[in-house]
Amino acid sequence: MASAGNTAATDVAGVAYSDFGHVLAQRERRFATLLLAPAFLALLATTTFPLLFLIYTSAYRMDLSMPFLNGFVGLENYKVLLSDDRFWHSLVVSLVYTISTVILQVIVGLALALFVMNMKRGQGWFRVIAILPVVLSPAVVGMIWRTFMLAPEFGIIDYLAISAGLGSKNWLGDPFLAMVSVVVIHTWQWTPFAFMVLLASLASLPEDIYEAARIDRASAWQRFRRITLPLLRPAIVMVIIMRTMVALTAFAAIFTVTGGGPGTATEILNLYAYRKSFTELSIGYGSALAVALLIVTVIISAILFAIRRGK
Amino acid sequence: MKRLRTILLLAITVVFLLAWAFPIVWSVLNSLKTDKDALAYPPKLLFEPTLDAYRDVLFGSGSILPNLLSSMIISLGTTIVTMVLAIPAAYALARLRFRGKKFTGFYVLATQMLPPVGIIIPYYIVLRNIGWIDTYQGIILIYLSFSLPFAIWLLVSYFEDIPYEMEEAAYLDGASRLRTLWRIIIPQVRGGIAVTVVFVFLNAWNEFLFAVVLSGNTVRPVTIAMFNFVSVEQTLWAKLAAVSVLAMLPVVILGIVAQKHIVKGLTVGAVKGGGRR
Repeated sequence: MASAGNTAATDVAGVAYSDFGHVLAQRERRFATLLLAPAFLALLATTTFPLLFLIYTSAYRMDLSMPFLNGFVGLENYKVLLSDDRFWHSLVVSLVYTISTVILQVIVGLALALFVMNMKRGQGWFRVIAILPVVLSPAVVGMIWRTFMLAPEFGIIDYLAISAGLGSKNWLGDPFLAMVSVVVIHTWQWTPFAFMVLLASLASLPEDIYEAARIDRASAWQRFRRITLPLLRPAIVMVIIMRTMVALTAFAAIFTVTGGGPGTATEILNLYAYRKSFTELSIGYGSALAVALLIVTVIISAILFAIRRGK
Repeated sequence: MKRLRTILLLAITVVFLLAWAFPIVWSVLNSLKTDKDALAYPPKLLFEPTLDAYRDVLFGSGSILPNLLSSMIISLGTTIVTMVLAIPAAYALARLRFRGKKFTGFYVLATQMLPPVGIIIPYYIVLRNIGWIDTYQGIILIYLSFSLPFAIWLLVSYFEDIPYEMEEAAYLDGASRLRTLWRIIIPQVRGGIAVTVVFVFLNAWNEFLFAVVLSGNTVRPVTIAMFNFVSVEQTLWAKLAAVSVLAMLPVVILGIVAQKHIVKGLTVGAVKGGGRR
């Protein structure tokens, strides 16, 4: 953008004013530069500059607790990272968390959308209630679940478990249950998103195809499998892409509910990078973890976009 | 048989509506209880409602009013700065011809790919060096990293909807470009600007990671302050519920106001390629 502005400026000197259209185009370019520059600079400062600085700090040992050891270490942080069990564990947790929440959101969201689409009355209730979870702060959602839903011998879910004869469970203290809990909480908050997008997409499908299918006596399953699903595919893929990106960098809900624990049971890579940098104050290594997260994000989105383009 | 089907459908409906509404409704109910009622086992559905918890968290010792104010300053500040920067940029991207337009648009989208934790680590170092930790300017500046790309792309979609004739007529009358933008174009996208304001505010209000790292005694939004009410030894249930409800209230109101635009707001940019937090 900045370079476009510069070339426009140098062009001015060499151009005769005979070409009125050309001058107009030039003015338009300069005006565009003027309008874009502030936002562009702000984005450079708040996204691109941090990225470059992050790559720089990832080549340093930078411990705020032991500053006397700080210094340039080259690729040492990345070498450590590759043999760091906690890193690989957090990567696995990230993938499990992302894949399970995205699949659950799409399946439940799609089922709900199909269900609500066929409702004759009461659609409005679903539409209003679906808005609530998605506008809430994940931190507040996490807090509500951690306390009023899951706290042992207090939360409603624990109450239901006791009533059902399962006994009180330490929902957030048991590694497996904690993982299930954070997956359920994320799914609870974001399924309405999938639901709303898919419902909007369903509502825009052409009626007449279904008419034709009904005349041909296609069963409900056939209609779903052969008509609805293919037509919804772009919307479903979009939901998958967006939700994957969010799940990979989920933070607030896990942070408030388990803090990554017990131990590292729910510590996704994002949270590990945070803990390393701001709890253990090891900024250099934390930066390397953040770069690793960026690389994972880019690889996964490249795969997803390839899927979206293919077929 | 048909009757059974109806009952089954009704049951599914109720279960799903309950599953999604319950955690929120339950927080509201708990916020209206006394601490004793909140702790009762089995959980009490019927109780005498009281506003004590709200009175305590708002006006008692350790009041969260400063924190609500803090959230408000952060969110309003972010919204104002974002809109001032995003409106002209979105107009240029939507309507003007210039070299590097495609690249600029792509760049704005690509900036959203960065994991927030990758932004906050370097930012923390810089802000620490210039003494901007726990300041409003520091937190608002970094909030631009997510609010600006979002606002630009949402606004582009609204600018693209205005007919070209509007501008052309203004130019023929001899109006300058800036004047045309200000007097003719911007009034046309009032609705789109309002929707964008709602979402930028909402995202700023809900942000957590940056706030955790950058907050202190001066800048302490309500999402951070609510942790004061939970501790290992003792959780103040009714008060925690009241704080949660207060933290939810503004965004729920905004969400319901912007109901029709939620899907658009949530999927902005996705159509062209990116993903949003």
